[in-house]
Amino acid sequence: MTGITRRLFNTALGSAVAVGGLSTGFSAGILGSWTTPAQAQGAASVVTVATIGEPPTLDPVGTTSDLVSIITQHMFETLFTFDGDWKLAPLVASALPQVSADGKTYTIPLRSGVTFHDGSTVTADDVVASLDHWTKASPRGKTVAPLVESIAAKGADAVVIALKEPFAPLISLLAMNNGAAAIVPKSVIDGPGALKSLVGTGPYKLLEHKPDQYIRLVRHDGYVSPAGTPSGYAGSRKANIGEVRFVPVPNAATRVSGVLAGQYQFADSLPAETLPRIKGAAGVKPVIVKPFGFPLMIMNTKTGVMANQKLRQAVLAALEPNDMLLAGLGDPEFVQAEGSIYAQGTPFYDETSAKPYSDHAAGKAADLLKAAGYKGEPIRIMTSVQYEFLYKMSMVAQAQLEIAGFKVDLQVLDWATLLQRRGDDKGWDAFFTYHTFVPEPSLITVLNPSYPGWWDSPAKREALAAFNREMDPAARKAKWVTLQTLFYSEVPSVKVGEFYNLAASSDKLTGYTPTPWPFFWNTDLKG
Amino acid sequence: MLVYVVRRFAGMMIVMLLVAMVVFLIARVVPGDPAAVMLGSAATPEDIAALRGRLGLDEPLLTQFLLYLGQIVRFDLGESIFLNRPVSQALAERSELTALLTMMSVGIAMLIGVPIGILSAAKRGGLIDQTSVGLAMLAASVPSFWIGLTLIKYLAVDHAWFPVAGYGPPDADLMERMRHLVLPAIALGIPNSALILRFTRTSMLDVMSHDYVRTARAKGLPPLVVVLKHALRNAMIPILTVIGLTTAVMIAGAIVTETVFGLPGVGNLIVSAVLRRDYPVIQGALLVVSAIYVLINLTVDLLYAVVDPRVRY
Amino acid sequence: MASVPAGHGTVPLPSSAGPQRSRSPLALLMRQLFRRRLVVLSFLIMLAILAVALLAPWITPFNPTKMDILGRLKPPTAAHWFGTDEYGRDVLSRVMLGARLSLLVGLLVVVVATVLGTLLGLAAGYVRPLDGVLMRLTDALMAFPDILLAIAFMAALGPSLYNVVLALGIVYTPRVARVVRAACLVVREMPYIEAATALGASTPRIVFLHILPNLISPILVQATFIFAYAILTEAALSFLGVGVPPTTPTWGNMIAGAQQYFQQADWLILFPGCAIVLTVLSLQVVGDGLRDALDPRLQKAK
Repeated sequence: MTGITRRLFNTALGSAVAVGGLSTGFSAGILGSWTTPAQAQGAASVVTVATIGEPPTLDPVGTTSDLVSIITQHMFETLFTFDGDWKLAPLVASALPQVSADGKTYTIPLRSGVTFHDGSTVTADDVVASLDHWTKASPRGKTVAPLVESIAAKGADAVVIALKEPFAPLISLLAMNNGAAAIVPKSVIDGPGALKSLVGTGPYKLLEHKPDQYIRLVRHDGYVSPAGTPSGYAGSRKANIGEVRFVPVPNAATRVSGVLAGQYQFADSLPAETLPRIKGAAGVKPVIVKPFGFPLMIMNTKTGVMANQKLRQAVLAALEPNDMLLAGLGDPEFVQAEGSIYAQGTPFYDETSAKPYSDHAAGKAADLLKAAGYKGEPIRIMTSVQYEFLYKMSMVAQAQLEIAGFKVDLQVLDWATLLQRRGDDKGWDAFFTYHTFVPEPSLITVLNPSYPGWWDSPAKREALAAFNREMDPAARKAKWVTLQTLFYSEVPSVKVGEFYNLAASSDKLTGYTPTPWPFFWNTDLKG
Repeated sequence: MLVYVVRRFAGMMIVMLLVAMVVFLIARVVPGDPAAVMLGSAATPEDIAALRGRLGLDEPLLTQFLLYLGQIVRFDLGESIFLNRPVSQALAERSELTALLTMMSVGIAMLIGVPIGILSAAKRGGLIDQTSVGLAMLAASVPSFWIGLTLIKYLAVDHAWFPVAGYGPPDADLMERMRHLVLPAIALGIPNSALILRFTRTSMLDVMSHDYVRTARAKGLPPLVVVLKHALRNAMIPILTVIGLTTAVMIAGAIVTETVFGLPGVGNLIVSAVLRRDYPVIQGALLVVSAIYVLINLTVDLLYAVVDPRVRY
Repeated sequence: MASVPAGHGTVPLPSSAGPQRSRSPLALLMRQLFRRRLVVLSFLIMLAILAVALLAPWITPFNPTKMDILGRLKPPTAAHWFGTDEYGRDVLSRVMLGARLSLLVGLLVVVVATVLGTLLGLAAGYVRPLDGVLMRLTDALMAFPDILLAIAFMAALGPSLYNVVLALGIVYTPRVARVVRAACLVVREMPYIEAATALGASTPRIVFLHILPNLISPILVQATFIFAYAILTEAALSFLGVGVPPTTPTWGNMIAGAQQYFQQADWLILFPGCAIVLTVLSLQVVGDGLRDALDPRLQKAK
């Protein structure tokens, strides 16, 4: 055992020296290249961002974790992206694709001269390989894979995707920054596994990653920006800040006090209760992100008591969303009791089909319970304290369901265990999670029949297929309303409402655009 | 003596083998699936199953254990599932912080414990003695995370005298890093100073009841000289012993303290590994920390045997 | 990890409890114990906390689980002496309920560790062939720092109140086993044990009727300290999120849950924290008093 210990200490000593040496070398190099344009910035051209934790990976393709996308979107780019109104816009592509009349063939033109972090130029071959990798490695890409006939290069600066049947959400899927169709060099792709090295085309590249300590991204000097006025994620991108440093800070109170103390220039996901403190503090301003997301109580439509549709309707009638939202987020400014899956002001908003959301007539839940033939079977609800607001909502839900006559077995698990258990349809009846705002409805996880909850009734299957086939925006809206009507009659999940995200940024950080996934190109530090 | 050392060493090896077994078993029956965590919330069961297969989590338990023992013998602690690096490297990266934190806490615990312990023994039964014994007991009753939270609130948030959390930017020098560790070291040091205080006091009292101290007193030497020159020198060995043991205990105490202060040390790694179901890291950290613990205990015992011939071996 | 268990473990404290040589009647013990005013005071505090714990369901000023979303995070007032928490629940009521749960965990850990430890210690101390094996086993368990072993067990068992009891029970068993074994080794050499053996008394009879009663006092002292450490360690485990499920308001959970808010609402951690300190402190004082009262060596010294 002494061997291990000694080795450990030797390694520790060695690596401390090595890392110390490296980082000095790097920072000297960075400073050297920056000092000319912005002498005054000096050490200030580092933006330190406090995130909610350590990302499970920095590979943008294989995971749909929001935390991963926040960081990796600086390093990797997709063919398309979203502008400030959540409309599609080109990114590595030079324009939106040309779609054939039958809706099956997409011709995507590419920008020329885009370079990777390793200095090489993006070719149509790289793009084909990246898209092919995406259909095999990304949870989003895999949903598209069965529909894909072929992906091929067309000349040096275009790519053609041929589908077996029309699939309207394709471009939105290609534009997502998680489970992302990131454009990478063909040489770093290693089967369906993780990328061999983290080389992208983004305005920042990875300098150093020390798990649980920091992720340092530095400006990619050879970056070739798309044209156009910046809007949302679209338009030109400029890396004014020399280094963006992501620091994992799992404790929310620490993120708050750290940003107030000036230790961080930006802190994400803060408790709503801290808004007055952030407002009152000098040098820091609050950032409220809306739309941000919606909490969901997902029910098991496949196995167990919740497979009974009447019982799910009873749950919907018994839950009082206002209380849940307020308990969860703490501040009315951060919540909105909104039943429509898309909130007012977005293209897919529909109020009428979401009526059952606010119908809590006295006795309704009890009648439904009776109709369902409920005999007091305990409802196993899984929740986790890792997401404080979900935990609080589930506490309130438990209280409300018990008042309505349900028997509730609330299981508080850590998030990892919850993720594991929800895969087994025999182990649970409901769980709490939240869904980040997505511009394209078919990206919503609950609609995926293989997503835990397994909502897959014949009516829904048909409605979803019709929605995905439809290319015309107005007709799509009508088909979406059909889906939302089903969502409220079959009740696969309860949408608790809308909630907004609180972040805080230093007054010195300028040019920041609030989005669900904060990004720091086009921002600058003054003073 | 040599026989004793060899015997103790052999005993330690057996203990370590048992430790390895306990460590392995504990980490294997943990519920929760690392593959599901790594793939994020939209992963399908098929994805998860595929990743499990790739990570070798589907091998039979016995095969996994034998594999594990073989690795330990080769000083290989395996590869972290979550961090994409060898466990030994992950531990090494975090050991500087934990080592520094432990040293600073021991320093603080000593600075509080030893002088007050001596004073208390010198004034046995007096007001100072009773107060300090009472305070020691109080210190041993306070949860260190509670001290930590309180320090953060009043010294770092209300008055920005110390950093709130973390270990400073990557290019921070040693002084800056140590500044980040002051509050954590106090939070960890205070509860542990109690043991040192009480132990110093009892050893001093023990020594002071010996004849040569009485003689020195009878000679009319000033009490301070008697205490510091005659008694302390002889009480130092047991005091150093307990400081050694406190060090071992503090490595474990760092688990809570590092979590409170968001410090990326070994303790934090252990807690995160449990939450992330990072089996190899849980195993490796448990094994290394308990090895260090056992080693310090052994060293202390052997030292004791060397300096105090009365210890039977 | 808040403290090193003073007076046991591998530290050879000069004043550690030795085997009791002469049995003193209860009255004498009580007199010895209560000679110090601090001990009396601590004993009374302990009784008071115990009473609150037992009566909590009937005497809390408010329903400790009743939420009042609009009245959340209110500082202490005449109505809510300890303020309200992030759900608008009464903190005083929850601290009182917390006493019940924290003390329950502590007591159950004492029972598990004492029963297991005593059995193991007697086996090791009286049955020679078992001694080596059992002591290696306790060595292995003691090779882990307390909190680390507890975390590892909790990771394996999953968070629940009874798993905390089991984990901490296992963690503290070796301490009892060691003390019992050491005392047993001394007692078994006593002439009256030899006499009993010579008279043909059965092994269980000798162990439980003749040896065990002589070990009661060191076990009692250990039990008091383990009670204190169990409460501290449970709080630490719950604080780290690997202890009792967060829906159960033990003191540790109350502090853990308040982490997000304590910078604005310090009463959320102040009161449960004080409850822990008060309980652990009075237990330690009583434990010390017990040890002094039961240790004949110290009695002579006085």
